[in-house]
Amino acid sequence: MTTAPQAANTAEVTEIDTSARWPLLLLLGSALLWLVLSGILALVNLMQLHTPEFLAGCSAMTYGRSSAIQETAFIYGWAANSGLAVALWLLARLGGAPLRSLNWVVAGTLFWNFALVLGIAGIATGDMTSNAWLHLPGYVLPMLLVAYGTIAVPGVLAWMGRRKEMTFAAQWYAVAALFLFPWLFSIAQMMLVFAPERGVLQALVAGWFVQGAWTLWLAPLALAAAYYLVPKVTGRIIPSYDFAQLSFWTLLFVGAWTGGRHLIGGPVPAWVATIAVVSCALLLFHYIVVAVNLRGAFCGGGSTVLKFVAFGLVAYVVGGFLDAYTAMRGVAVHTQFTHFSEGQSQLALNGAFSMLMYGAIYFLAPRITGLAWPSVPMIRAHYAAALTGTVILVVTLIGAGCVQGHDLNTATIPFADIAGHVRPWLLAATAGQAILLLGNLLLATHLFWLAAAKAATPAVFNPAPTMEASVS
Amino acid sequence: MKNGFTFFLGLFLAVALAWAGIVMGSHVQLGQLAPYFDENEGKAFPERMPGIAAQGQLVYQDLGCAACHTQQVRRPDFGSDKARGWGDRQSVARDYVSQAHVQLGESRVGPDLATFGARPLAVDATRLTQYLYEPHGGMPAYRFLFEERKITGERSADALKAAAPAGYEIIPTHRAVSLVAYLQSLNNVYEYPEARPVEPAAAKEGESK
Repeated sequence: MTTAPQAANTAEVTEIDTSARWPLLLLLGSALLWLVLSGILALVNLMQLHTPEFLAGCSAMTYGRSSAIQETAFIYGWAANSGLAVALWLLARLGGAPLRSLNWVVAGTLFWNFALVLGIAGIATGDMTSNAWLHLPGYVLPMLLVAYGTIAVPGVLAWMGRRKEMTFAAQWYAVAALFLFPWLFSIAQMMLVFAPERGVLQALVAGWFVQGAWTLWLAPLALAAAYYLVPKVTGRIIPSYDFAQLSFWTLLFVGAWTGGRHLIGGPVPAWVATIAVVSCALLLFHYIVVAVNLRGAFCGGGSTVLKFVAFGLVAYVVGGFLDAYTAMRGVAVHTQFTHFSEGQSQLALNGAFSMLMYGAIYFLAPRITGLAWPSVPMIRAHYAAALTGTVILVVTLIGAGCVQGHDLNTATIPFADIAGHVRPWLLAATAGQAILLLGNLLLATHLFWLAAAKAATPAVFNPAPTMEASVS
Repeated sequence: MKNGFTFFLGLFLAVALAWAGIVMGSHVQLGQLAPYFDENEGKAFPERMPGIAAQGQLVYQDLGCAACHTQQVRRPDFGSDKARGWGDRQSVARDYVSQAHVQLGESRVGPDLATFGARPLAVDATRLTQYLYEPHGGMPAYRFLFEERKITGERSADALKAAAPAGYEIIPTHRAVSLVAYLQSLNNVYEYPEARPVEPAAAKEGESK
């Protein structure tokens, strides 16, 4: 962070950072525009949930479509763009050499975002495919796949051409995310959109894809940031680092098997759900190791970056335990099909992923631009808004889910009354989402301000803590 | 981790194993599932949906109805699906074999629709069409599926009994008509051998279908 200028440390910013400035800013800028768009739509969706007539006359904004657009903008807009930017940057830093083939990143980013705009226009006008996390119409999917590949090229080059034989946990997670998403994405396209599987097998493919996209793509991207930032900012080595490797492989090998937890009690083979329950429990090992490895985030000594990271880690680990808890059949019968599940995904996406990305953005943007963040109060305000917004949103959605689950399972309560019982919770959730959106607007404004600044305030970094094992 | 090849092989195996297990595993089990031929009735179940209903399924899909409605009934002792009148038996894989796009859904903001076609609201197409035009508690009106048209000559037979400006009438578009046909076709009530409710004592043995 750039908030406590003590001694100028020019070694902190090298050619590795500055050479990648514009491509990475392009990725981050598009990411934040999508984040704001998805925040606005999330607000609209919550309002539609408690006041169904809101915007109901507009076919593009009917709840089914606007919620699909919101999800798509969040995952393929915000999460993909920001995750790729962070992954590329830390692969370059840990690889010890500037990123090569950056033109590929620029071209890929333009095509990726163009395809996404096209796809979202398609959803709004009636080409939605109605697959969770894959609502995009078939005609943009191949373009997205190719664009992703071109953006990832410099990351793979940075890994292959790294100057150090030794690798770090942050690199494993980043490379895994870069490498695995195209597999998941292309298989899901084929089996759901272009040559759909038969009957309920579609639901199984979708379950596998959604869980895979989280555990093999988004979660690794977020963890790569966390595993880089915590030791880097605290200057301490990662405790119990030996377990990190085991935890990494546990996430990769067990994670995607938990996809069936949403299908408990459904018209699918019972073993799919059973394996999901067992896998959720196995995965707890991974969450515990992450918590132990990265506990340094909680003694950050006032670093704003680490405050974001600490919150993200708490959300990640709590989310993992909550997944395991709600995967049990006795619990799932109450939480399934309710706002509880939505609360869980918001905890993972807004709580864990986004928070870790915010931390990474606050850390890397001054380094790639060589400029200090223009306003410290804006960073603090964003942190406060992101924290309160996310907590309110998640807690109220989970609360709403508990009420809804109880009512749904009590057949004597008329179905029409349930909406009224849930309404106060959803109103509070709307407030949470509004606060969150405000915070994200601050971050977006701040980044564009930083990018537009003309070397007004050269960045002054805290002296980089010396570490036993640090390559950058 | 020093060996790049082993590392990438591991990554590849991670995604391949989960895919092989969940997707291919269930494909082996269910991929060949055929409709069930009932000799007494002389036809196979589930029945193919009429063409207009298949078009309606696309409307259901592009409007994202699955954001609020599930199409899967859980077994009688798991939740209150039966008590709410959503279906006497649990949904089974065979119910869906003839559907082009299966939309099980993950949220019950609205009621489950797996057996919607058998409910009083759905039996009368006129009433159901009217229902889509008006807001109902949790469900908004879908007015963009209707057209306001100037009456020329006689009133159209399809016109809704809704308030329209003088000289105008409200006509459902083809999308509305096909959506209604699709909703009427949702009727997973045939009792397949594997779908018969198990006695509570036997239920303990497992949930296999």
